[in-house]
Amino acid sequence: MEMEAVIGLEIHVELNCATKMFCDCPNRPGDEPNSNTCPICLWFPGAIPQFGRAALEKAALLCLGLNAELQPKSAFDQKVYYYPDLPKGYQLSQAHLPLSRGGWIEIADEQGKPKKLRIHHIHMEEDVAKLLHEMEGRTPISLVDFNRAGAPLVEIVTEPDFRSSYDAMEFLKALRAQVRYVGSSECSMENGTMRVDANISVRPKGTDQMNTKVEVKNMNSVRHVGDAIAHEITRQSACFQSGEAIILHTRLWDPEKKATLPMRAKFAGPCVPDPAVPVIELSAEWIAEMKKRLPEMPAARAARFSTQYGMTAEEATYLSAEPDVALYFETLIGEGIAPRTAMHWLTTQLMPALKEKKMELASCKVTPSRFAQLLSMLAQDEINANAAREVLTHLFDSDETPDRIVAARGFKQVSDPGALCSLIDKVLAEQPAALNDLKNGQAKAIGFLVGKVMQASGGKANPKMIKEMLAGKLDSYNQ
Amino acid sequence: MEDIFSYRREESFNAKEGLLKDWKITVQPNISVAGWPADAGSKALADFTALEDATIIDRLKNAGADICGATKMSEFGFGIKGSKAGEALRKKEVNAELVLDLMGEARLAAMRANVFGFKPGYGIISRFGLIGLIPSMEACGILSSEVSLIGEILKIIAGADGKDFCLPDESLLPAVEIIPGKTKVGVIREAVQGLSEKENEFFTSQLGKIKEAGWKIKELTFSEYDLCQSVHNIIGAVEASSCAGRYDSVRYGKRAPGTKNWNEMYLQSRGAFFGLLIKSYLFQGAYFQFEKYSDYESACRIRKHLVREIEKLTAQTDFLITPVRMPKNASTPLSLTETYDQFAATLFANVAGLPALCMPAGENVCGIQICGARLCDLSLLSLGEYLCNQGWGK
Repeated sequence: MEMEAVIGLEIHVELNCATKMFCDCPNRPGDEPNSNTCPICLWFPGAIPQFGRAALEKAALLCLGLNAELQPKSAFDQKVYYYPDLPKGYQLSQAHLPLSRGGWIEIADEQGKPKKLRIHHIHMEEDVAKLLHEMEGRTPISLVDFNRAGAPLVEIVTEPDFRSSYDAMEFLKALRAQVRYVGSSECSMENGTMRVDANISVRPKGTDQMNTKVEVKNMNSVRHVGDAIAHEITRQSACFQSGEAIILHTRLWDPEKKATLPMRAKFAGPCVPDPAVPVIELSAEWIAEMKKRLPEMPAARAARFSTQYGMTAEEATYLSAEPDVALYFETLIGEGIAPRTAMHWLTTQLMPALKEKKMELASCKVTPSRFAQLLSMLAQDEINANAAREVLTHLFDSDETPDRIVAARGFKQVSDPGALCSLIDKVLAEQPAALNDLKNGQAKAIGFLVGKVMQASGGKANPKMIKEMLAGKLDSYNQ
Repeated sequence: MEDIFSYRREESFNAKEGLLKDWKITVQPNISVAGWPADAGSKALADFTALEDATIIDRLKNAGADICGATKMSEFGFGIKGSKAGEALRKKEVNAELVLDLMGEARLAAMRANVFGFKPGYGIISRFGLIGLIPSMEACGILSSEVSLIGEILKIIAGADGKDFCLPDESLLPAVEIIPGKTKVGVIREAVQGLSEKENEFFTSQLGKIKEAGWKIKELTFSEYDLCQSVHNIIGAVEASSCAGRYDSVRYGKRAPGTKNWNEMYLQSRGAFFGLLIKSYLFQGAYFQFEKYSDYESACRIRKHLVREIEKLTAQTDFLITPVRMPKNASTPLSLTETYDQFAATLFANVAGLPALCMPAGENVCGIQICGARLCDLSLLSLGEYLCNQGWGK
């Protein structure tokens, strides 16, 4: 029997607000433990939550960026459970009246066709504290760090529209790009600012049954999400085929064992309307104001790049996936660099170098204006590609302008015909076999000789001119 | 005196210049005064000290008031068992007392002490720094032998607060003039039922007095009056269960020693330090949260309906007058039902969020409560003062 998976995702995204959701404590969970706390986020007696406007705006922009519909009225509920990571016995979350409903993300399916994956709703909630269990020593102890307690989160709950780990991974990549665009979060699974739970069930292909699902947690990269889903589909399909019952529960992904392992029965506690946080009513004017603040989103930008700069769909999608890369690219264009040169150098040189150096585009020394100066020198044949690559490595460590680096380190391209001519003659004298080939009209010798002349010039010669001059010689020998 | 107070200010005090200069006011230890013990009458919070002043305390201090001590209270202010509210006034030690009113505690305490007991309408007074239990129904009550002082205090503590976003963007309406021939009062028939013969006789005689003075009295029917108690009981218990969730002994409060893991720590700490009445209330709340959630939802729907019905009653008249039975001094611990029965006549004002004022009852067989529409707190106090000046209620 051919099986099919039915998958839905629940994605927690930590909003990058300066403060927590219900108090003015800095939203910096990584600081010295328990340094970012106050009577509100520690829920001292008499504390009252003060819902912040920044969290609402960031959350609303995120909803709009995912094509969701902001609800005129939403409210917080108390999700009741007792655990030391929860300072008041309940988590403030929007269970009954979420901030937005609907929404979708379009991906290209495995055949490259567009596929819309729907979002059920998006709600706001506060994060909980971080627990650290020290099991070593005579008495095991549990430590609680409340820096994260009350950090602003949204949870994106999708429809069960996903059929494969491919769908889920593509959805997450697109989601990440779109949320970064609106500026609401960095969405890093590695740093925990995006956390994904997958609900997975299987059924015989062609049926529309909704079988018992299993929740999988603890994946800390998009790839792990894909692996965990693939593993779970295989595991459940085998259970289904052998007639073994699937029980509603939560499993943890173990990246080392590459398997999901059972954790606990799925939690289902009560959600009681909270009497202390006011109901949130959004006016049509406010929603319109938020819509105005939405930037051009990745899909729209990719379409524009494709037509405006004559790129392939793949190139355009790559360049528009990250807002800072897209902005960098368009700044280069603004500095007069040809689109293809800009794209080529950005994607094949600068980005790989950043990755290797573990640097961020926005904070590295290679500003768009310095990079543009370098590329202009290349375009005007003042330096050649080899030299440009060399200069780029210097741009990372020095504050000097590219032309000073070129001048100081002698990277300037040799384009003087006389100097090049004597270099060519010297190389031809050293390479009698190649000279012979040239004399016999064999054009393939030109490539070899260009390389030799470049070598002899210490990489500084203008390769285009050498090639032209060697071609001239070939012609003259064979007239 | 010490049996009345749980804490008395020892540090010297320089009153600020203001309307309340030299007025002595007490609180209870569920109202935060920076540096004072704030155990809310519960062992679970033993040795807890308030970090900041509650907004109302801040405002009173700025108006020159002398916050001079805290009186003993029932656990988390729920019920009046163990509470000494009103006693400092009775002994003329202070000018006013602040007491949280969850279902009528401030008003019943005042009646017993033969002073005025006022519960402001919902959303008028900041809850910041109040260690409450039933956020959607409780309010800080004001007790005094002078209605005018209650009015002064109310005007000082009421109004928007950047620390309590729940206060609606509304202001108290100015007091209207009380004109006997014009002002209409309503009597809810169902609220009068169940009085003893003597109580009934007293209440009828009081109504007779105001009729003679030319007041219009309208008899009103509110067939769902009794539902207020069930609704308060269910919603109150659920909110209390949530509010008390924070007393888990993790960050503050007392922790039971020798437990092996945190589940044990929770169970034993909460088991050891909450009193029996609160424990049964919290159990009831957890029961509705976890087992009978749909009943809680029904209670919320019914409350909405009750609030509308009570609004209709207040719309037909200017004020409502109801009898309030005097609480008996029980020697044994009260059950939840007995506790609720004590507040049968006061809690509808908490359910509907209306301002309510209990008149001094002295040696009377029965107390009298007047109640106004939302935001009409100041007019209600005017009526109280007027009736008092007329020698009414005696």
